[in-house]
Amino acid sequence: MKGITGRIGVICALLVLIFTAFAWRLIYLQVLQHDYFSKLAAEKHESRKVIPAKRGRILDRNGEELAVNFPVRTITADGTHIQDPAALALLAAPYLDMKVEDLKAKFSTKRPYVVIKKGVAEEKAQAMVRAMDKARLHGLSLEEGAIRSYPNGEMLCHVLGFVDASGHGIDGIEKSLDEELAGQDGFRWIEHDRKGLEVVTYRGQEQLPEQGADVRLTIDMGLQAIVEDELEKKCREVHPAGAAAIFADPNTGEILAMASRPDFDPNKFNESQAEQRRNRVVTDMYEPGSVFKIVVASAALNEGIVNERTRIYCEDGLFHYGGKTIKDHHKAGEMNLGEILQYSSNIGSAKMSLMMKDQVYYDYVRAFGFGEKSGIPLQGEISGMVNPPRRWDGLTKTRMAFGQSVAVTPIQMIMAMASVANGGVLMKPRLILNRGEGSVAEPATSVRQVVKPETAKFIAAALQKVVSMQGTAPQAQIPGFNVAGKTGTAQKISPRGGYMEGRYTVSFAGFFPSDHPRLVGLVIVDDAKIGSEANYGGLVAAPVFREIGERAASYLGIARENSATTTIAQLSEKADTP
Amino acid sequence: MKGNRRRATNAIEVHFLTRTIFFGFLIGFAALFFVYIKNQQHSVGNESRQVEAELHEYTARNEALMANITKMTSRGYLQRKLDEGYIRLSAVRDSSLESTNPAVIAQPDGLLRTASRDTAEASRRVLSR
Repeated sequence: MKGITGRIGVICALLVLIFTAFAWRLIYLQVLQHDYFSKLAAEKHESRKVIPAKRGRILDRNGEELAVNFPVRTITADGTHIQDPAALALLAAPYLDMKVEDLKAKFSTKRPYVVIKKGVAEEKAQAMVRAMDKARLHGLSLEEGAIRSYPNGEMLCHVLGFVDASGHGIDGIEKSLDEELAGQDGFRWIEHDRKGLEVVTYRGQEQLPEQGADVRLTIDMGLQAIVEDELEKKCREVHPAGAAAIFADPNTGEILAMASRPDFDPNKFNESQAEQRRNRVVTDMYEPGSVFKIVVASAALNEGIVNERTRIYCEDGLFHYGGKTIKDHHKAGEMNLGEILQYSSNIGSAKMSLMMKDQVYYDYVRAFGFGEKSGIPLQGEISGMVNPPRRWDGLTKTRMAFGQSVAVTPIQMIMAMASVANGGVLMKPRLILNRGEGSVAEPATSVRQVVKPETAKFIAAALQKVVSMQGTAPQAQIPGFNVAGKTGTAQKISPRGGYMEGRYTVSFAGFFPSDHPRLVGLVIVDDAKIGSEANYGGLVAAPVFREIGERAASYLGIARENSATTTIAQLSEKADTP
Repeated sequence: MKGNRRRATNAIEVHFLTRTIFFGFLIGFAALFFVYIKNQQHSVGNESRQVEAELHEYTARNEALMANITKMTSRGYLQRKLDEGYIRLSAVRDSSLESTNPAVIAQPDGLLRTASRDTAEASRRVLSR
């Protein structure tokens, strides 16, 4: 009896020991090593899933979509869940347009995260998942993504810019408003089962994404299409090294159309050259030539140095000054301010500049916005080149009067012309109408009053004569409208110093209707491959302005000012008449 | 002996037994119910995951279609089709034009709205332009 009791005691003691050991092990695993094993489990089953924010669209002022997102998927593999790499490769290959061998090699891994292919169309990706479910194969998952699409291709490419493979803005509006457009990615902590599927019950902390804002531009795509079309026609005709055109509302500074050549397709930006991607409107500076005469004329008139009746002796077309000779195309004796602009007299302009103190003249040049960035939200804007009086030589002042020894950007030039059109106020160019639905529209911003309204009015009236049959730009006339404008023909600067023979940058800047301007425009054609005798702003750039203006007036419904029925053909006949 | 034998008889405590069995069943049922609920929870979770995936798929398909529509109605695309001769422009006299309220595209909800013949609205727009 005693032996039995002893044996029972031993068995009980053993059981107690065993259960004590188990209990201790349990305490060790669950309590002492809790953090370690929790972490281990979390690493295996928990993951932070990024919920990507949708990039905002870019729209024109009427809501036309200029940049949108095309949903695609990134296919990733989890090697720990792939049981049959060969079968999975065979199944996935046709959906991913990849070779079976390549896929098999990629699937034969134990790594938990391998990117297999990016940019797979949604439909193909979903079809592949369904096929996998049917075949009971696991190990591939889909990640959300999108590729940026620019439905209009080359049109407005320099303004829109483009994004890189990771969706970050690289150029244009995509770059300058990247923060607003990109939004903020969200996340969700998830647990997945042994098949790699999310266990919804154990969803953890979650933060929804902040979607990117839709940005509305001031651009009017109807007008943009007209501008692009006419600029393209001219480029095919004269094969220039480059060309640009901008049209804006002079009263608000809103940029309505902006085109630059050469251009590129932002959908295939990696196939383009840097030269094509350059937005000449903001990144290039050029000597403006005679268009710049509006500055000296406005300054002299505003300062009271000349008035509308003052007559300036123009030396019959040859003026010897500072050891150099300044020539006029239209030889004349005395001319008043209006005639100096109408006939584009270099001598008259130079003499007006000499009547002013250096600093006063310089201040006016700067007041018109030259020598400083306009503040347009586009990448790579330069400030141009305006030397201060201390760096002028004896000829600089007279050269500046007719647009030499000074370099401007097209955006500066059009804003200066807009200030003449709107009564003397320099406006800040405005390209963004609003940043996101419900956001307050950005107001028009005036930079400064450059000249008195009456000065601007007089200059505008004088610029109308430039576009008359006696002026330098009759080809800019738009039937039914009084057009004001100024031509510019500047020899190109040689990199070795001096000017290049027979190579010109020609331009025309103007506005209409001249009484209540609705549109101000600038057309620049750089180094057209035509003879010097035809390479003038009035012959190359002005007709482009006219064609754009005529179509734009019809498109925008701008009421005609007069009943003039002069047609372009009639104008040509008149122009040909000796 | 008889009396002793009677005293040694163990009476079945029906109440105690019933109570024990009842509580045993109750605990067992509660445990099974807990497991059932847990399974249901997982099952509903799976369903919601599938619904989410389907919803996402439809949304993505819709977005892809919208992007395609935008592309195929863009100025650049239509111009190319015009150049290739797939479509052509026909002249329309001013007098033959009916002013309509322009189609509002690209609304935040992603819906396309067709033009309507709201002459008052059209007039207002023309005037404001």
